[in-house]
Amino acid sequence: MNRIQKSVGVPWQSQRGDGYSDGILAGDPDTSVTGIVTTFTPTFDVLRRAVDSGKNTIICREAPFYSRGERAPVGWRNGPAPAKDLLEKDAIHLAKKEFIEHNKVVIIRLTENWDARTTDGQLQGLARSFDWGHYHTATRNGTDEYDPRNVYFDMPNTTVGRLAEELKDKLKIHAIRVVGDRAAAVSKVALTHGLLLVPDAEQILRQPGVDVMVAGDTVEWEGGPYFQDLVTARMVKGLILLGQEASEEAGCGELATWLKLIVNEVPIEWIPAGEPFWTLSEASR
Amino acid sequence: MTVGETTISRRCFCQLAASSVVFGPTLMRAQAPGRISAREVVTRIKRNVGVPWHTPTSDEFKIGDPDAPITGITTTFMSTLDLLQRSAAAGNNFVISHEPTFWSAADVVSALRDDPLYHHKVDFIEKNKMVVFRFHDHWHAHRPDGIFIGWNRAMGWERCVRYGPDPFSIAYEIPETSLRQLALDMQSKLNVHSMRIVGDPNLRITRVGHGGHYIAQCMATLPKVDLLIVGESREWEAAEYVRDAIAAGQKKALIQLPHEGGEEAGMRYCAEWLKTFVNEAPIQFIPSGDPFWIPA
Repeated sequence: MNRIQKSVGVPWQSQRGDGYSDGILAGDPDTSVTGIVTTFTPTFDVLRRAVDSGKNTIICREAPFYSRGERAPVGWRNGPAPAKDLLEKDAIHLAKKEFIEHNKVVIIRLTENWDARTTDGQLQGLARSFDWGHYHTATRNGTDEYDPRNVYFDMPNTTVGRLAEELKDKLKIHAIRVVGDRAAAVSKVALTHGLLLVPDAEQILRQPGVDVMVAGDTVEWEGGPYFQDLVTARMVKGLILLGQEASEEAGCGELATWLKLIVNEVPIEWIPAGEPFWTLSEASR
Repeated sequence: MTVGETTISRRCFCQLAASSVVFGPTLMRAQAPGRISAREVVTRIKRNVGVPWHTPTSDEFKIGDPDAPITGITTTFMSTLDLLQRSAAAGNNFVISHEPTFWSAADVVSALRDDPLYHHKVDFIEKNKMVVFRFHDHWHAHRPDGIFIGWNRAMGWERCVRYGPDPFSIAYEIPETSLRQLALDMQSKLNVHSMRIVGDPNLRITRVGHGGHYIAQCMATLPKVDLLIVGESREWEAAEYVRDAIAAGQKKALIQLPHEGGEEAGMRYCAEWLKTFVNEAPIQFIPSGDPFWIPA
């Protein structure tokens, strides 16, 4: 933990106003680290696989107990944490907590500080998993290639439908949701990860010519109709939502690669949590 | 349903007969289409919704002149641009929308001044002399919740439902089916395309509950049901909770509906309900539709 704080390259932000901050969310800080797993979210399954492979330390973006710990939600983009008495008697919470204690697992959240770096590791990881490096428009100007604002990709001509299928196949996921006409032509894509809010979309679309935006998720009843309306008004061709996990998981692989540069005493492995969902289009094939 | 339909169905007529003290005087003022304003329609909604009108509320006129005579009424889940175009084409310039028009819960437009889409949408509404009213809080406050009356009806679950004390503590005991079969039924009955599912497709389901907006409701409900339905949850809450429940050995499942799939049927019912006390203008439910599709 101390080594991450020293090497992250930006001043460490230790506190968020509300909700969990980066740092140890579960386990004893003095536990001796047997191995490190990076992942998007510490699901029960990820914890078991980590322990089975002899690693007791998880570095992740989300928290283990189904909330970001916030008490006062902002709009609908997050929800309040459950009341303490409700959580403490919840059988699923208890089973997971017991597993964490019994196996001396330590869970470290690393989100804001990782995202504050001048290189957007989440964007870089996602672009790499698509093998889109050579389409990235930022390679043609002098800024840090994966500066968080460099989200634009000039693609060989494709369509909304073909692009959605390509992303689905490359990430091996199913629950991709698309707004827009499948046949609409696409050549410029704005690639983002995580939750896309309407003001962020407005900002990114100020650059003319963007056909499609890709994101993890949106506040469905804000971003969804915003893009429906953009499509109806013929201002944009579509929106592709990969799912939170799918859009952030590749960046957790980047994190594992980065950690190996600063920690070499223990094994480090990226274990993707996998998307939580299946869909009927998958089941009917 | 045809445009211009003002016929009162037999079922609605029965309701009217049973409550003639409330509705009788309204019907006697019946006039030709085009002779009622949006404001008068809303005044009657306030009178008939069965709960006191509270403020602050999101149930307000969002755009347009409430005092101009209207040509027809569209009820819908979401007043998207496409929906507004279809409503105008159907001859209805008054849209009653459950959800916002300008892409945020409070329809805050001050931040949208530089957004070309905002101006495009406003231009369309003004050119077509349309009026939009949001009908959300008080339709949910109706007892039973107007949205769930419509949803239960769409699912054919009116006889399987048990209402609890809280808004989302609604439980269903349904004839046994599998998760996969129930998801397929739900997809066609609610006309949705982007349902996402957690759990074993062959899991047997009889007890179903709604997870509402937040994880607290999911935690309160999941122990009592086989299947949790959510339409407004964040991915790191309900889906991860149910995924871990299954990993912990519980036989549970989750269906995450598009928000529209959880509420649109309630606006279909809203059109029927409006017809029991407004007959001066045609009233029509037009679906705004699931925004998403999922590649096969």
